[in-house]
Order: sequence, then structure tokens, then C-alpha cells
Amino acid sequence: MRLNFLSVAWVALLLAILAFLVVYPVLMLLLGALTDTNPVVDGFGVFRLSVENFTTVLTNPNVGEALANTLIACGGGTVVAVVIGLAFSWIVVRTNTPCKRFLAAASILPLFAPPLVAGVAWVILGSPKTGLINTLFKWVNLDWRVDFYTLGGLVFVFGIYYAPYVYMFTASALRNMDPSLEEAAEVSGASAFATLFSVTFPLIMPAIISGTLLSFIVMLGIYGIPAVLGAPTNINVLTTYIFKLTNWSPPLYNTAAAVAIILMVVTGLLVYLQQKVLTGRSYTTVAGKAFRPRSVDLGPWRWPVLGLAVLYLCIVVVLPLLALIVAAFRKFMFIRDAASLVDLRQYSMVHFDSIFDNPLTLRSIYNAVEVGLITALTGGILAFAIGYTIYRTRAPGRRTIDLLSTLPVAIPGLVIGVAYLWAWIGLPGGLYGTIWILALAFIARFMPDTVKALSTSFLQIHRELEEAAWLCGKGMLGTIRTIMLPLASPGVIAAMTLLFVLSIRELGSSLFLYTSNTMVMSVLLLDYYEGGNIGKTAAFSLVQTVLLGVLIGFANWLSRGASQASVGRTG
Amino acid sequence: MTGKIPATLDVAGLRKQFSVGRPAIDGVSFAVPPGEIVVLLGPSGCGKTTTLRCVAGLEYPTEGTISIAGRIVSSPAQGILVPPRLRDLGMVFQSYAVWPHMTVRQNVVYPLKHRKTGRAEALRKVDEVLALVGLSEYAERPVVALSGGQMQRVALARSIVYRPQLLLLDEPLSNLDAKLRLRLRDDLRRILKQTGMTALYVTHDQAEAVVIGDRIGVMRDGKLLQMGSPDEIYNRPADLFVANFTGATNELTGTLVERNGAFGVVDLGNGQRAEAALIHALGPGEKVRIALRPENIAIGKHDGSNSFHARILDRRYQGTQTIYDIDLFGRRLEVLELGTAARHEVGVDAPVSLPRTICWAYRDEGPLTNQ
Repeated sequence: MRLNFLSVAWVALLLAILAFLVVYPVLMLLLGALTDTNPVVDGFGVFRLSVENFTTVLTNPNVGEALANTLIACGGGTVVAVVIGLAFSWIVVRTNTPCKRFLAAASILPLFAPPLVAGVAWVILGSPKTGLINTLFKWVNLDWRVDFYTLGGLVFVFGIYYAPYVYMFTASALRNMDPSLEEAAEVSGASAFATLFSVTFPLIMPAIISGTLLSFIVMLGIYGIPAVLGAPTNINVLTTYIFKLTNWSPPLYNTAAAVAIILMVVTGLLVYLQQKVLTGRSYTTVAGKAFRPRSVDLGPWRWPVLGLAVLYLCIVVVLPLLALIVAAFRKFMFIRDAASLVDLRQYSMVHFDSIFDNPLTLRSIYNAVEVGLITALTGGILAFAIGYTIYRTRAPGRRTIDLLSTLPVAIPGLVIGVAYLWAWIGLPGGLYGTIWILALAFIARFMPDTVKALSTSFLQIHRELEEAAWLCGKGMLGTIRTIMLPLASPGVIAAMTLLFVLSIRELGSSLFLYTSNTMVMSVLLLDYYEGGNIGKTAAFSLVQTVLLGVLIGFANWLSRGASQASVGRTG
Repeated sequence: MTGKIPATLDVAGLRKQFSVGRPAIDGVSFAVPPGEIVVLLGPSGCGKTTTLRCVAGLEYPTEGTISIAGRIVSSPAQGILVPPRLRDLGMVFQSYAVWPHMTVRQNVVYPLKHRKTGRAEALRKVDEVLALVGLSEYAERPVVALSGGQMQRVALARSIVYRPQLLLLDEPLSNLDAKLRLRLRDDLRRILKQTGMTALYVTHDQAEAVVIGDRIGVMRDGKLLQMGSPDEIYNRPADLFVANFTGATNELTGTLVERNGAFGVVDLGNGQRAEAALIHALGPGEKVRIALRPENIAIGKHDGSNSFHARILDRRYQGTQTIYDIDLFGRRLEVLELGTAARHEVGVDAPVSLPRTICWAYRDEGPLTNQ
């Protein structure tokens, strides 16, 4: 190779960046879990290595309880998500239910709801005393009461918000399945029901398993929902427990690191399993030709089916949004009766005035946008460099680059936060306390998604287009500038916008890395919630939702759906 | 294998109109007597597969009736639409549609499971049918470990294991490579005849249609143009399209001068006259088109009334056969000669003869539009 020295240097540079972003923090986290040094007090002086943290953690009944809660909430939530997701994909792909296009588009909407905002909305709806649902029940003289401050509530909210993960996998598997496989069963004498369970579902089993695992993995790493729903009744899951450990006084950074490592290992194993299932034998592409669309005629049943689908969308999108609006604009959350609900005198902008009177609010929005811009630009350029090196060159060591840049898939956001905390808190004058530590953590966290989003646009550009430019005498960089960048630019811009969106709503890793000067929106939102004023919380939730909605609309318009899958994985 | 008596299939006035465009099937009627194999032949988009799928119940016709063994299974006018699983028929799909998550045996036993067949009997039937298609040793293998030809045999076994009264085959050989297709084609006819089932077979390959079918129906643009024995289709095509589609690719235009019985004298211009078989009812003075098979023109022979001189324009040697382009009074015709020797030189004049029985004259309705 002519550019041998240069390409080695290039690869070394990328590897160094990845080591700095990913490997170093994870190693520090591991080190933290294996010592009892407090980095804030002791700095990086002496380390006494031991597995003591792990043994204390594993014998601690609180950890056991948090683990049990996590398994119940995520397991139950996954079951709900699979049932909803599978039903939805069958309805959208395989039946003649009316308005299928609308259903298909709407069914992935929940993916865009920030978990914390969703959690806040369901607090407003489902709190045992002042919840809107209970108020309504009382008003129509029903003796039912719901309480979402429970594991059951957690299971429900997890289930409805993460069903789209199952949906995305199974719907595309169903679309790629040769419909004559089902027709053969029908002709053979099987009823529609028997066909579904003996042919259709077994055939898309890899997609079902993989969607199931993914939704479980994402739930495992979510902080926002259990933080708001579990806090009032002190239900801890692993993520909320880790945060509590660092908020103890004195903060138990070592124990937090150990629990984080456990969470990371579990997630890593599940991700590995999911990748295995995905790359394993797939039945759906056996015939490899274009299929005629085929749909089951539901007859008169298609209307009730449509009704069910719309009901789901109401529960997951409309109801929470209404709840946020009501809570944000109402002066007091106490609602005596239905008349009071529509009494306009009860509504005002008081909560918005109050949050914007707080200088922290504007500060946090400004910070969030700044972090988002840094993340989007730096992360986008880095991902472009990595993606190009992996997919378009034969540089030595590109496998290692690929591996390191996908590693964060297996690290929940919260764990990245703890890892970065460990990596930088002990270094005086370092990154800790700056905007940059947040941005770097986000870049590392979303690296796999950005590279993946970009790689799809790389793969769409035929290699021969580049080769033609080389033959015309352009150099490597000239070719990238004149051929690759112009052709891939919609993909690059979409990936950067996606990165911007993701970093604005990110909570898990921000929690450990912000200081009073670098407060960002999602952390402040949690602050408002913990401050107990539901009106202010709802108002600020709406601000965030509108901001994100505009951004996502923009991203979608740019990439026409390419970003959906990516927002998908990160939750 | 013993089983039920094979059934008659009756299709009358079948029409299928999709939401846009011309009808996919436009008034198709035919009958398949018990034990006969009827092949629907036509180019893609002619409606043959849609017809088959209507018979299967996988597609819903707009008009017309379909009855199997005298029972109406589909008649929109009477509001009858029997679902596929209750029509007691077997179907072989173009993509095989064998279930990849099952073994060969699980695939084949599947229809029996949904027919309340006893375990012992099911086992016996599966073994019997696997022996028939030559897959006895493969029973316990996962189907994904099989070759394309073997998968198609599994699909066939699965569709006949319960001895349905009617078997439907939708281009079952088109996904196989050429050599395998030829072998399986002969096997398929043998197996179908052995079981004695009534069968409806769809293909776009004339050679396949001739070998498999007892009768062939040629379709175009949703209409059934001709239904007859392979011999009839090949030696007396009902119209120019059937002639062209089954390989009579040469055309001569002219005017009918006089007719005597089934034959007539056609003026081809320049004072040249030829005798032709009149397939349509034609009168003197009408414009005609004559279709000719390249195989039926003989170079170097001079006998009968239609003997002319032609110049050899081009020669394409293909090993076991040679194709010549000849100039016959200003028209370019293709001639095919079998044999490994190419006998005529380019540029020479040679006598050619076109026996009148193979010059089929049709009313001139303009050139065929190629799709």
C-alpha cells in the first residue's frame, strides 16, 4: 500500500481517541470497583486492590431487592411490550385494518418520548391520591383506584413505551417473509389461528427474541421512569440504586462502581445474546424475491381491531400529553369535578412564568443546546472518520476500531456516567465540572448509533463511484471531499441531528457529570420533580417535549425514517 | 397409493378486477376432467397465476363460478366463498414455500395433522409419499439443508400426502436451474399420473407445458385464447399470438386471392403466391398474416406447391442446431435446422419449401404488440 505509513498513523490516531473516550473510563470504573479509595478525597494515590466491594454488594440485601425489582419491572415490562409489539406488527403488516399507514407511523412515536417526561406524565395520571385517572373514577362514582407508584405501574409504563422495539423487529421480519409460506399452511388445512402459531410466529422467532432482548436491555438502563414512579414509595431498581449510592454522604463511589460493573456485565451478556440471535440463521430471506403484499381479511373485526390500536396510541401518546398540558397550565392540581377541569379560570401561565423566573432554567436550556452542538459536531465528524475507515478502507486494525466503537452498545448511559465520573473526578484541573465531560460522555455513549446510522448511507454509495474518482486522478482526501461528502451529506446531517436530539434528552449519564454551572435540561427537570411542584415539572416537560418534537421532525424530514431505528436502540 | 376419486374442476366466466387497471382475468371458462392435467400457459401478467390462486381460494374473483367435484367453492353472485382449507386441494408454490423451521417429515405431516389423521396412518402416508418423490432417506433432515430440487419435492409431497381431490401447481419448476428443471419435469408428470390426480398447472415455459400437460390453455391479457391438446396447440394454433408464443415466430403478410376448402392462395406481393391453411374464416380480398415455425421451413428441398428461391443472409451455428436468416422475396425469415452440421453457406441462393399445412393464415389485425 502506498499510504502505508499514513494509514498506520491514521489508525493509531483513531484508536487513541477511542481509548480515551471508551477504554480509559471503563478501566477506571473497574479500578474503582476494585478499590476502596475515594477519588475525591484521596486523589489518585494509593490503590488497594480487592474484590471486597463486589462481595459486600452481592451480600447487601438492598442490592438484592433492587435487583429483584429490576428483574420484575423489566421482565414484566418486556412481556407487555412483546404482546403489544407483536400484535401491532401483525395488525399493520398482515391485516386489512383501516388506516394502516397511520398506525404504522404512530406506533413508533413512543420511542421519541424521553423516559423522564413519560414518567412525569404517568405520575400526573396515575398517582394514587391526586392522579387524573383516580379523579375521573371518583367523578363517575366508580370505586376503582389505580396506583402507579408500584412495581405494577412500572411494568405497565415500561411495557407500553418499549413495545415499539419489538414492533420494529417483528414488523420488518413479517414484511420480508414469503407470504406463500402462510398460504401453504392455509391450503394444507390449517385455520388462520393455527397458521399464526405453527408457521408465522415460529418463522419470525429470531426477530421476536431479538426485539424482546433489546427491549429488556433498554429497560435495564432506564433511569427516568423508575426514578419518578419508584421514588414516592421507595422502590429501587439497579439504576436508581446506583445514583443513590453516589448521593449518600459520604458518597459511596466504589460501591456504585461495583453495582455499575454488574449492570454492565448483565447488559453486555444480553447484547451479545441478541447479536447472536440476529446474525444466526434467519428464515425470512429463504426465497429471496419480491413478495406480493398479502393481508388477512378481518371482515367486520377490522373495526374493533382498529379501535384497540387507537386505544393504545391514546394511552401512550395522547393521554400523557393531555395530562402534561393540564398540569402545566393549571394553577392547582386539585380537581374537584369535571366542571372544574374545563373551567378556564383555573388555568394560567403561572408555572411557565415561575420556571423562567428561575435563572437556572434558561441556563440549563443554554447548556443542553451547547452540549448538544458540541456532541453533534464532534461526534458526527468522529463517526464519519470511523465509519469511513471501517467500511471503505482496508486499513490495518479497522476490526479493532469497529469493536471499540461498538462497545458502548453494552454500557447503559448511567454506567457511562459513573465511569466518566471515576475517570475524571480525581484529576484536578481536568474535565470534571466542564461542559466537555458531558459532551465526551455523550459522544462515547452514542458512538455505535451514530456510526451505524452513517454506515447505512455509506453502504448506499457504490464503491465504484469512488473508484471512478480515483481513476480520474483524485486523491483519497479529494475523493472524500468531492464524492463521498456530497453524496453522504443528507445521512451525515441526519446523524448529527439525531446525536443532538439524543444528547438533549440524555439523563442517565448527565446525572453524575453535571455541576451547578453545567446543569442541563433533563437534570433540572428531575430537580423540579424532586422539588415536589408538579405544575412546574409538567411545564418544563412540555418545554422539553416541544423542543425535541421540532428537532425530531427536522431529523425525520432530513432522513425520511433512517433515524427511527437509531433513536430506537438508545431509549 | 389409493385414495379418493379425482374430481372435476369447472371454471365458468371467471373475472377478477383489481382496484386499478384492466381486469387480471377477463371471462375465463374451462373444465378439467377427472385425472387430467391441464396447463395454463402464457407470458407473465397474462392472468394464469391469478386464475390458479382464485381456484385455490387465495385470491377472490369478482365474477364467475368455480366448482370442484360439482361443489361450488366460489361464486360472488351467490355470495359463496369457501376458504382454501375447506376446498380439499393441494398446492405447490413457485417459491416452494416449505417451512424452513421444520424437518422434511414435519413439513409433509403438517396437512395430516390438520385433518385428524391417526398417528400410525399419518406415519404410513408420509413414508409412502416420500418414497414416491424419492426422498425416503431425507425424512429427518431440516429442509434448509436440502437443494432446490429436493425442496420442491418436499413441497410436492406435502401437497399430495392427503390425496386432495385437486392439485394446483404454480410454476413449480421456474426457480430451478435448467438441467434440474428438465429432470424434474419428467418426474413430475410421472408422479402426477401415478397418483391419478386432477391437476391444474401454471407455467410460462412452452416446452414444460407440452411435456406435462394433457391439455394446454394459452392465456393472454386475462383471456383464455385456446384450450387444446399439445398437438393442437403446436400444429393448429388458434390465433397469431398462440402461434407466436409457441414458437411460430416468422410472419408473412399478404392478401387472400382465392380459397378452396381449408386452404387458400395468398398473394404475397411482387406477384408471388403461396398456398396456406386458413385457420380463421377468411374470404378473398382479405388481408392475412401467415405464421411459420422456423423448424418447419426446409432449405434445399423443392417439392409441393410452395417452393421458392431464397438467399441465405446469415448463419448462426449453435452446436446441435443451426439458425439461418433467409431473404424470401424481400422478407427476412428465420429457419432452424437440426443436426451438428451447418449445411448452407451465407450468400448463396437455395431452394426452400413451405408445405401448405404449416403456413397458418390469420386475419391481419396488425402486428403483435410485444409486451
